[in-house]
Amino acid sequence: MQPENDSRGSAPVWRTSGHAMTQSIDHQPVPGLAPQQSQAGLLEQQLRADIKRLNRFSNRGLWAFSLFILVSLAAWRYFPMLSLPNKVVAALGPPPPPNIISIVLLFYTFSAIILSLSRMTAGIEHKSSFCHVGYLTGFLLFYHFAKALDDNFWAVFGSGVTILSIESYRIWTFCREAMSRRNEQLEFLQRTGRMPPEDE
Amino acid sequence: MFKTLAGRALVPVGIAVTGFVIVCFLLLYSVIKNVVNRDTVGYATNLADTILRSTRYAMLKSDREMLTTIIQNIGRQQGVEHIRVFNKQGIVQISTKKKELDRQVDKKTEGCIGCHAGAIPSASLGRMEQARTFTNGEGRKVLAIMSPIYNEPECFNAPCHVHPPAQKVLGTLDIGLSREMLLKSLAAIRNQMIVFTVMILVLTVGGVTALLRRSVFLPLQKLRLLAMQVEAGEHPEAHPSHFPRELDRIAQSLYNLSQKNQSAGGDQAAIDKGTVPKDS
Repeated sequence: MQPENDSRGSAPVWRTSGHAMTQSIDHQPVPGLAPQQSQAGLLEQQLRADIKRLNRFSNRGLWAFSLFILVSLAAWRYFPMLSLPNKVVAALGPPPPPNIISIVLLFYTFSAIILSLSRMTAGIEHKSSFCHVGYLTGFLLFYHFAKALDDNFWAVFGSGVTILSIESYRIWTFCREAMSRRNEQLEFLQRTGRMPPEDE
Repeated sequence: MFKTLAGRALVPVGIAVTGFVIVCFLLLYSVIKNVVNRDTVGYATNLADTILRSTRYAMLKSDREMLTTIIQNIGRQQGVEHIRVFNKQGIVQISTKKKELDRQVDKKTEGCIGCHAGAIPSASLGRMEQARTFTNGEGRKVLAIMSPIYNEPECFNAPCHVHPPAQKVLGTLDIGLSREMLLKSLAAIRNQMIVFTVMILVLTVGGVTALLRRSVFLPLQKLRLLAMQVEAGEHPEAHPSHFPRELDRIAQSLYNLSQKNQSAGGDQAAIDKGTVPKDS
């Protein structure tokens, strides 16, 4: 499937089994737009859809943070929904020693912070927050099964708060900047009927 | 806060450095605590072995008086909370506390359950599994070690004894050591680490803030004032200097612009006064 321009040379249109879907500014398809709409109206709708999507996306870090708090609460109560560590150890074999888990946690925290700061510097849109919640849950479970959660809970919690705070901040600032750019484009479009020239 | 350059530059760095240092502190403290605990358990296990070896002859001879004297003397040592010898049925035979004598302990309690969890009790345990911690009746925190007294050929071959050769464990020695010193040492280590962590944080975040302020934010503030002066049509009093190389070019441009504006303003004033012909 390739995008093609409609007869008036307007924005690229995705043709999929009889339905026309326009492509948004950042290549996200926006459904429900008829090809006969004027180019300016089409662009305006795309920009509005983009702003809406960015607004939703800016809260992603906070949702991940909330999920991590919930997982941490369960860990604080020794994962009451899971079977006893002894049963799991009997079924799966012994977990790694707590010292090894701690070393891996330290390297993971360092790498995640560096990666997040690099993405912030490069201005890359990356939806990685929920992956970190998964990794951190893994660390909590490993400590739980190694019976070392008491000593290491706060280390995992601190690591999670740090990584997810930086990720939330990165996503939030990225979305704020992108939304402000889209708003400027929208204002220019409404004033002149065309898109502003692309910044280098 | 997030709209200023200082906020945008310092918030992520501050969060990253603070969080990482705190995580390092917590992990390091946890490792140190484990090492100290393991060493203490090792020390307590060695002490239990020493007591067993010291009392071996008295047990072999079934000399209760000598056995009790040895146990009482060791029990008087500073840091030893209790020493008990249980028989196979879990009845206290010898203890440093007389009120505990001839009492039976529950085999399901902590310290016993390690071996007595199944139908057939385990005859051996790892070093860390022998240890348990609790707060005793006097409110002191105690680390206790259960050390089994194994049956030996000298025991079941002796004419005075009744232990059958099949019986692997004859009883257990339970020694409790005070954890007060250990906890004090850990608290001292923790406090020192907190002080070092706070110092590292202050130095790192403070250093980055001070350097950014000196090298970036103050020159930018000066540049902003210069731009506002030029915008208002005022001529800067002095030639802009002491800017970093990247900002110096902008400052120079603004200064030149203000000079051009001034000369253009002077020409316009001269034209308005009629001293300069309009078509010149």
